[in-house]
Amino acid sequence: MKTARSEGLVMCHDCHLLVKQSTAGRGACPRCGSGLHARIPNSISHTWAFVVAAWVLLLPANLYPIMTVIYFGEGEPDTIVSGVIKLAEEGMIPIAILVFVASVAVPILKLLGIMLLLFTIHFKWSLSKTECTVLYRIIEVIGAWSMLDLFMISILVTLVDLGSVAQISAGPGATAFATVVVLTMFAAMSFDPRLIWDLQEESND
Amino acid sequence: MLYGQPHIACHECDALLATVAVPPGKKLVCPRCNCTLRKPVRDPINRGLALSLTSLTLMVPAYFMPIMTFNMLGLDAVDTMVKGVLHLFQSGFWWMALLVMFCSILAPMLQNLLLLLICLLVRAGQYGSVLVLLLKSQSRIRKWAMLEVYMLSILVAYVKMIDSGQVHIGVGMICFTGMLFSTTLNVVIFDTQPIWEKVGRYYGGVHEDRPL
Repeated sequence: MKTARSEGLVMCHDCHLLVKQSTAGRGACPRCGSGLHARIPNSISHTWAFVVAAWVLLLPANLYPIMTVIYFGEGEPDTIVSGVIKLAEEGMIPIAILVFVASVAVPILKLLGIMLLLFTIHFKWSLSKTECTVLYRIIEVIGAWSMLDLFMISILVTLVDLGSVAQISAGPGATAFATVVVLTMFAAMSFDPRLIWDLQEESND
Repeated sequence: MLYGQPHIACHECDALLATVAVPPGKKLVCPRCNCTLRKPVRDPINRGLALSLTSLTLMVPAYFMPIMTFNMLGLDAVDTMVKGVLHLFQSGFWWMALLVMFCSILAPMLQNLLLLLICLLVRAGQYGSVLVLLLKSQSRIRKWAMLEVYMLSILVAYVKMIDSGQVHIGVGMICFTGMLFSTTLNVVIFDTQPIWEKVGRYYGGVHEDRPL
């Protein structure tokens, strides 16, 4: 399979124009003026940085409470996990599963998935390139769904604002979790899926 | 491989392919990694205009009218999208408030506004640097618009509170649903590639370099 790179062409990241490597040396796309790079520059190290930072922040995100529900002056702060358990105990199993998937499973699986892709590139593991690309696409799509809990908190704090009768407030865990979501999205954006396929070119040579 | 022909490279795996004309309704898929490369629709500019205007109109009530009202022991509380963000700001969670505001209010609004302006400029034949800037901005902002996630959050919040008191769906929710549909459709059918090609022609025929 011929690739743009093997034919000495560089594709502009913004407008997808193909430019000859020799003219691309000058740096800017003749059509849209963006900087030209065959691959996203420093893709691997930037992605690693975002992944590590996200893992670190997952700790406060899960240890600190994200939300406190108070009925008649009584109520305890909930972390992400204890919130899910409470939902399950109240019999709202589908909602509990949904919140668990969005706030616990998605961020962790997303980070593990990106790490698998990074390790595959680093150690030149011979995994199926097609499956790796599918994994990358899933990672890209599911990222946004972690925002579910944060949007829900923003809805609940105003919806249940009944003074001394009932009140819901956000907790410090939510701030950390918001940062985790942003970092995992940056990690997915800075990863260049073409690096997976470059392995195939190298092994063919 | 047909040399000297116009080519495109797959943005996900870098495979080099000779371009073929894709009729509206059909899609061009990368033979190596299966990613969709082109998916043209009929009359994209006019459809884009119609959908952007619909979304922008529905956005005003969706943001400012009540999404839900909650009633418990005779006490009422009303939730709107803007109030939710303001409430977080007031209670000191400014970072989370900024993120929620950006992903649910600003990004979808900018997305529709940018698509509207792009369609207007293309219709007027203005392929200059303004259009280039708008096209680049819209592709960057795309991933941050999370209306569908917000929709699910509303449903989860609704189910969560339904046992504690009376929850009523408001006008804002109806407008939000409509806006969600028109915005999603707008983003899905919008294709930047034909516009980029016109921009290239405008700049004195910037052509793709072809394999020799």
